[in-house]
Amino acid sequence: MNTKLLCRGALVLLAVLTALYLVAPVFFVIPTSFNDSSFLEFPPKAFSTRWYEAYFQDPAWINATLNSLQIGVWVTILSVVLGTAAALAMVRGRYPVKALVSGLVLAPVLVPYVIIALAVYAVFLEMGLTQSVLGFVLVHTALAVPFVVINVSAALVSFDERLEMAAMSLGANRVTTFLKVTLPCIAPSVAAGALFAFITSFDEVVTSVFLAGPDLSTLPVQMWSGVRVQIDPTVAAVSTMLLLVTLALFASAGLVRLFRARRLAEAA
Amino acid sequence: MSQNPSTTSTLAGTGVSIDIRNVVKTYKTMTAVDDVSLTIEPGEFLTLLGSSGSGKSTLLNIIAGFIDADSGSIEVGGKDLTKVPPYRRDLGMVFQHYALFPHMSVWDNVAFPLKRRGVAKAQVAERVQRALDVVELGHLGKRRPAQLSGGQQQRVALARAIVFQPQALLMDEPLGALDKRLREQLQLEIKRLHRELGTTFVFVTHDQEEALAMSDRIAVMRDGALVQVGTPVELYERPASRYTAEFLGESNIFTGRTHGVDDGSALVVRPEHVRLSAAGAELPSGHNALDGVVREVVYLGSGLRVEVALPDGRHLITRSEVRGALTPSPGLPVAAHWHPEHALVVRDDTAA
Ligand SMILES: Nc1ncnc2c1ncn2[C@@H]1O[C@H](COP(=O)(O)OP(=O)(O)O)[C@@H](O)[C@H]1O
Ligand SMILES: [Mg+2]
Repeated sequence: MNTKLLCRGALVLLAVLTALYLVAPVFFVIPTSFNDSSFLEFPPKAFSTRWYEAYFQDPAWINATLNSLQIGVWVTILSVVLGTAAALAMVRGRYPVKALVSGLVLAPVLVPYVIIALAVYAVFLEMGLTQSVLGFVLVHTALAVPFVVINVSAALVSFDERLEMAAMSLGANRVTTFLKVTLPCIAPSVAAGALFAFITSFDEVVTSVFLAGPDLSTLPVQMWSGVRVQIDPTVAAVSTMLLLVTLALFASAGLVRLFRARRLAEAA
Repeated sequence: MSQNPSTTSTLAGTGVSIDIRNVVKTYKTMTAVDDVSLTIEPGEFLTLLGSSGSGKSTLLNIIAGFIDADSGSIEVGGKDLTKVPPYRRDLGMVFQHYALFPHMSVWDNVAFPLKRRGVAKAQVAERVQRALDVVELGHLGKRRPAQLSGGQQQRVALARAIVFQPQALLMDEPLGALDKRLREQLQLEIKRLHRELGTTFVFVTHDQEEALAMSDRIAVMRDGALVQVGTPVELYERPASRYTAEFLGESNIFTGRTHGVDDGSALVVRPEHVRLSAAGAELPSGHNALDGVVREVVYLGSGLRVEVALPDGRHLITRSEVRGALTPSPGLPVAAHWHPEHALVVRDDTAA
C-alpha cells in the first residue's frame, strides 16, 4: 500500500516536472515581451507594449508574416492533395507500388533538413527559385507531405472498404465513391494532416534560412535574424502572439470535435 | 414490417435471369471458384449454400463485379456484364456487416442510390419514405446508423438496396451477425419482400436451415465447385451425394466400407424415417432393421431425438413422436427399422 502510494507520488512529480520543462520557455517569453527595455531582459523591470507596436509598425515583420501565411496556405493545399493520394497508393496499392511510394514519401523525415536545404539551395539558385514563394512552397510541401501521409494512411487502414463496395453497388463511380464516402469518413485525419502541414511550413527555419533573402523572408527567418543580428525584443512579442494563435487553433479543433459528438448524441 | 401491398408494389422490380457460365477464380494455389455454371431464373430466390471457404462470397462478388473472374462470363437479363464495372451493373447488394455510411443519416443512406441516378428531388423524398416504410423504419430517418440496433441497420441496408429497383438483389450472409430470433424474423421479412417485389434474389448462407426455409432453389457449393442444385425438397429428399445429404439436415449414413463392399456409394436414411420397435417385436413386412440399444433420448418439445447404439460401435439417429407406441429410455434394447424406399443410394464423395 505504502509503496504503491510512493510510486504514484513519484509518477505525478515526474509528470509535473516534465510539463514544467516543456512550458518553461513560455514563462520566459511572455513576460519578456511586455518588457520596456531594449534588450531581452528577464525578469522585466517595467511593463510596456512597445514591442507589439514595433511589430505592427515594421513592414519587414508584417511582410514576413504575410509571406509565411501565404506559403503556409499553399503548402497545406498541395500537401493535403498529394499526401492523400500517396496514402491511398500506399494503403491500397499492390506491393511494388506500395514499397516505392512509402520509401519516397517518408524520405524527407529521415534525411537531415540541413542536407535537404543545401541540395535544394544549390539547385534553386541555378533555377532562380530562391527568394520566391514558389521555391518555399515546393520545399515546404516536400517536408509536410509525410505528416499528411502518416495521418491519412492510418485512417485508411481502419476504414472499412466494404463501404466503398456498397457505394459502387448503389451506382457511385470511383470518383463519387471517394468524394461522398471515403473522404467524409477519413476527413478528421485529413484535417489533422492539414494542420500539421501548415505548422510544418509556418515553423520551418532550416531550409527557409537558405532560401530567404532581402527580397523575401518568412516569419521564422525574421525572428531568427532578429535575435542573431541585434537582440530585438520584438521577437518575444511575436512569439507570444504565435503561441496564442496556436492555442486558438488547437482549442477550436477540440471544440469542433466536442460539438460534433454533442450533435450526434442529440440526434439519438 | 408493414403489410401495405401498395407500398411495396411501387418499388417492385422486374425479375431478370442471371447466367453464370464457366466462371473460374484462382488465388495463387487455391481455386476459390471452380468452373461454376448456373442459370438463375427471373424472379427466383436462389441460395448459395456451403461451408465457410467454399467460394460463395467470391462467386457473389464476381456477379456484383467486385472481383474479376479469371475466365467465364456473367450475363444479367441477357446482357453480358463481365466487363461492366459494379456501379453500372444495377444490382442491389446487402452485406453481412450492413455497410451503412456512418456519416450519413438513415434517410441519406437510402437516398444515396437515387441521387446517383439523378432522380428528381420530390421523387427521392417519396421513394425513400416508401422504402423505409416497407422495412418499418419510416420514423427513424433522421438517425445515424450507429444509433440503430443490428436488426434495424440491416433493414436500412435492405431499404437502400431495393429503393432503386435493381435488376437483382445480392445478399452475402445478411443475417449472419444477428441473434437467432431476429434472424428468423428477418428471414420471413426478406421472403415477403421477395414475394412482393418479384425481383431475382441471390442469397448466400452457410446455414442449411436458413437455406431450406427461404429458397426457391439451393446451389450447394464445396471447395469452389457446385455440388448440387435443386429445390429444398429435391435436395433434402433426393441428395445426389453423401456431402449434400450430410450438409442438409441430419442423416444416417451406411457406406460400402462398413458392409465389406466399397463401391463408392453410400446409403442415406433420414432420422424421421427410422422407426423404433421393442427388440423382438414383429416388424412391418419388407422393412430393413438393425438391432441396438437406446443410448440417449433428447426431448425436443415437438418430438424426441433418439440415439441408438449399434453392436458395431456406430450409432443411429431417429426422430419420433413423444407419445409413440414405444417409450424409449437409455439402455432399452430396440430394433431400428425403415422402409427400403426411404433408403437412398448416393455417391460417396466425402472420402478424404
Ligand atoms: N483475396 C483473396 N486472396 C486469397 N485467397 C482468397 C481471397 N479471397 C478469398 N480467398 C480464398 O478463397 C476461398 C473462398 O473464399 P470465400 O468466397 O470468401 O468463401 P465463403 O464466402 O464461402 O466463405 C477461401 O479459401 C478463401 O481463403
Ligand atoms: Mg463469405
